[in-house]
Amino acid sequence: MIELDLSLPLAAFPLQVSAKLDSDSVAVLGPSGSGKTSLLESIAGLRAARGRILLDGNRLLDSARGVRLPPERRRIGYVPQDACLFPHLDVRRNVRFGMRTGSREGTFDEAVAILDIEPLLGRFPATLSGGERQRAALARAIATEPRLLLLDEPLAAVDVELRERILPYLLRVRETLHIPFLYVTHNTGEAAAVTSEALLLRRGVVVRQGPTAQVIREMMTTSVDPDARFDNVVAGDLEASQAGDDRLFLRAGEARLVVPAPASGERGGRAVFAVAPEDILVSTRPPAHVSARNVFPGRVVTQDVSNAGAWVRVAADGLEWTVRLTRAAAQDLGLEPGTRAWLAIKTHAFRRLR
Amino acid sequence: MTSEDFSILLLTVEVATVATLLILPIGVAAGWLLSRGGGPLRTFAETVVSLPLVLPPTAVGILLLEALRKRGTIGGVLDSYGIELLFTRRAVVLATAVMAFPLLVRPARAAFEEVDRRLPAIARSLGCGPFEAFRRVTLPLAGRGILTGTLLAFSRALGEFGATIIVAGNIPGRTQTLALAIFQRHHIGQDASAMRLVWVTVVLAFGAVLASEIVSRKRSRVEGAVG
Repeated sequence: MIELDLSLPLAAFPLQVSAKLDSDSVAVLGPSGSGKTSLLESIAGLRAARGRILLDGNRLLDSARGVRLPPERRRIGYVPQDACLFPHLDVRRNVRFGMRTGSREGTFDEAVAILDIEPLLGRFPATLSGGERQRAALARAIATEPRLLLLDEPLAAVDVELRERILPYLLRVRETLHIPFLYVTHNTGEAAAVTSEALLLRRGVVVRQGPTAQVIREMMTTSVDPDARFDNVVAGDLEASQAGDDRLFLRAGEARLVVPAPASGERGGRAVFAVAPEDILVSTRPPAHVSARNVFPGRVVTQDVSNAGAWVRVAADGLEWTVRLTRAAAQDLGLEPGTRAWLAIKTHAFRRLR
Repeated sequence: MTSEDFSILLLTVEVATVATLLILPIGVAAGWLLSRGGGPLRTFAETVVSLPLVLPPTAVGILLLEALRKRGTIGGVLDSYGIELLFTRRAVVLATAVMAFPLLVRPARAAFEEVDRRLPAIARSLGCGPFEAFRRVTLPLAGRGILTGTLLAFSRALGEFGATIIVAGNIPGRTQTLALAIFQRHHIGQDASAMRLVWVTVVLAFGAVLASEIVSRKRSRVEGAVG
């Protein structure tokens, strides 16, 4: 559990964050320049913030009592936007950097396995792609067995190729190591997939805090963050489909979705897919004779209309889907919370994250 | 090359080495401090450090002489401990060190400025204390600049003349370095033997520059594209 009550003067406005975070996975959302990175750096102890930071009851900072733990004693793993790998060390020595003599040898192997960086170990940071750098930096952070992980995803990562996204690895870290984390991202779909709680920052202050899904909903209509993406992110287990060949089933919750088979030929295991909200069709009647392989009924949870268009959230088989429509389409359909609605998603609208 | 030539060469190399080793830790620390600070204080410190570069060496020599006299500010203190400096080999070391100092500090400062400040910060968050972060991240990343500065300073120390002749004189076998010996031999008309020493200095300088080239090449290969 993290308790924050801190202030830090920034160039354009002061960062002034008060929040009590109970969940072990928290998304930090907000437009660029709203103070997200400064917040992470303050928690890591790299900025001279004033106020109070409590982590599981440990006082990391308490200006009133004159407590300010230096970063090396906070045991917080920080993965900055551009990874900040040490350019003079290869990946192996980067990952080992923070390991103390006497720390578990297994942590190194574990970090390497989870982040899938075995083939990169002998390479220098300058020769790595953006995604590879981030994985190496995340491995370097978890090898120190931190009490808290801080992940700052670069804005540029919005355009990073899907296969390069850090999210699937973050899911693995969460599933195997159970380290609580704060995750800065512009991809709200990813935030929804890995976090249960979210903070929305704007000009240095928390404007919303609550369950991730709820905070994201507010973001859709207020256009707080012009760079935000609202992809649907689905994690599940792959299963061979009878049709075999080019399609697989993805079991996620109670849903069984038809997704494209990877070129690698794998037919099972964990997989994460993203579906853009523009790629989903909504119908108020059961659609017939459509080519889409995923057609299923659900119920409208919310509908928000803004200048940018209409955002509809539909719950089905334990998943919640974000769909984007034009305002005219939303009006014609007459969708309201509680309305029954069918969703149609083409197999190839599912884009593989890992 | 006569045995006298050879002992002059040895003395020169010895003095330059000692002087360089002496200023290395101070120069690295000064370079780091200058890379961190800002404002008028830094500009002032920067100017003071660079003075030996722009002043005539003989002027620096005179200033040192004044300070080191038995009644001088530093000389007085040294004298009370029974340390004699002027016209000794130690004076040669001191004069060459002062003259070489800015050549080390300036590239070191530039190298430290090149190091991304966040890298040592990340090292801290990975559990390093400030000094460990400096030793394991900042110092190696600034290493090339420091090495360049060290070689520049060493080369300068090998050839120092003006300040040395004033605080250490030109005493054969005691304070006479290559530069001083060449001057003396030329002055008394022994042009042939002066020329021998000139060739010695050419070979020496060539070796130093070549060594620095080889070292920097090797480093850039290890670090890959970062260079």
